[in-house]
Amino acid sequence: MPESIPATLIIDTLKDTFREARAALAAEVAEPPKHSHLGWILSVPDTHQKSVLAALDKEEQIRVLTCATEDEATTIAAGLHIGGEPCVLMIQHAGLYASVNTLRGVGMDGQVPIFYMIGLLSREKDKEPKDSRHSMVRYAEPLLDTFGVPHARLEGPDDVHLIPEYYRLSRERKGPAVVLVGLETI
Amino acid sequence: MAHDAKPPEAKLMKPEEILNLIHAQRGSAICVPTMTTGPHWRTIAPDDLSVGCVGFMGGASSLGLGLALARPDRRVLVLDGDGSLLMQLGSLATVAGAAPRNLVHFLFKNGVYHTSGAQGIPGGLTVDFVAMAKGAGYRLALAIHDIGDFKRRLPELLKAEGPIFVELHTGLSEQTPMTARVGVPFPQQVSDLRAKLLKPRARA
Repeated sequence: MPESIPATLIIDTLKDTFREARAALAAEVAEPPKHSHLGWILSVPDTHQKSVLAALDKEEQIRVLTCATEDEATTIAAGLHIGGEPCVLMIQHAGLYASVNTLRGVGMDGQVPIFYMIGLLSREKDKEPKDSRHSMVRYAEPLLDTFGVPHARLEGPDDVHLIPEYYRLSRERKGPAVVLVGLETI
Repeated sequence: MAHDAKPPEAKLMKPEEILNLIHAQRGSAICVPTMTTGPHWRTIAPDDLSVGCVGFMGGASSLGLGLALARPDRRVLVLDGDGSLLMQLGSLATVAGAAPRNLVHFLFKNGVYHTSGAQGIPGGLTVDFVAMAKGAGYRLALAIHDIGDFKRRLPELLKAEGPIFVELHTGLSEQTPMTARVGVPFPQQVSDLRAKLLKPRARA
C-alpha cells in the first residue's frame, strides 16, 4: 500500500538535489551564477503537495515562485536553466493537462531539461492510478507515455531517491522528466 | 463584435525602427523577441545575447522572467506582442509578484495577430495593457505613441528599476515568422545563450 511522505523528507531531498546540481554546474562551467539560495520551486499550488508548500514558506535556502499557470512555470524554468539556476516544478495533474503545448514546445522540441513533481490529487490509496475512478488520475501516466516523458511514482518515503534520479535524468536527456506524487504529502 | 483591429499605419511607429533603437542602446542586456519582433531582431542582432520565444506563443514574458531571476546582474528586455501576451496574460501578475528589478517588458501593440493573417485580437486596440500592468503591480507602466518620445525615454527605461512595462503603439512589421527566413532553432538558441552566460570549461 502506498504511504504519504513527510514534507520535511521531500524538502531535505530537494536541498540535496539542488546542491548536487550546483556542484555539477560548477564543474562544467567557468561562470556559474552566484546566489545565496540553493534553487527554485516553481509552483502552481497543488492540494496534494500543500504540506510541502507550507513548509517551504519557512525555508530560506529554497526560493518559491508561485505562477499563475503551468505554462508560465514551464517557461520560467527554461529561463532559469539558461541562466544556470536549478529548479523544480510542483504542480498537479490538471496543470499537466493544461500545459501540454508548453511541455511539448519548451521541454521536448526545445530540449530544455525540466523536472516536474506532479501531485495525483484524488488518487485512491487502494488503487493503481490506471484503475482510479477519477479521469484526472487515470490519464496522467498514459499522457506522459504518449509524449515519451519518463516518469516514476513516489509511493512512500523509500521512494524519495527518485527525486534526484529523475532530476538528473531530465538533464541527461535534455527534456522533461516527472515524478508523480502518489498520495497527499503530510 | 467588430473591433477597431487594424491600426492606421501613417500615425504609428515602425517596429523595425524601435528595434533598431533598442539594439543600439541595449549594452549587455539579454533580449527575448517573439513572433513579429523576431525576424528583424535576427537581422540586426544575429549572434548575440538573445533567445527567441518560438514554438510556445505567449511565453516571452515568462522566459524573460526566468532569465531575469537567474541573472540579476544583467538587464533582460522582453520584446512581446499584444496577441502573444493575451495568451498568458496571468504572466503580468507573476512578473509583478517576482518583481525583477532588471526586467523591461516592451509590448509591440498592433491590435492584430499579424503572423496568422492579421486577424484582430480580442478587444482590438481598445485593450489597455498599461492599466493591466499597473494593476498587476509593475513598478512602472506607460504607453508610447511617438518615435521621438521613444528615443527620448529609452535611455532611462533601460536603467530604471523594474519591472517596467512599455506599451508601444506600432504599425505592422515588414516580416513575420511566416514570411521571413527561418532562424536558428530554439534548442540551439538555448544552448548558445547558456554557453555565453555560463562559459563552459574546455574539455581536457
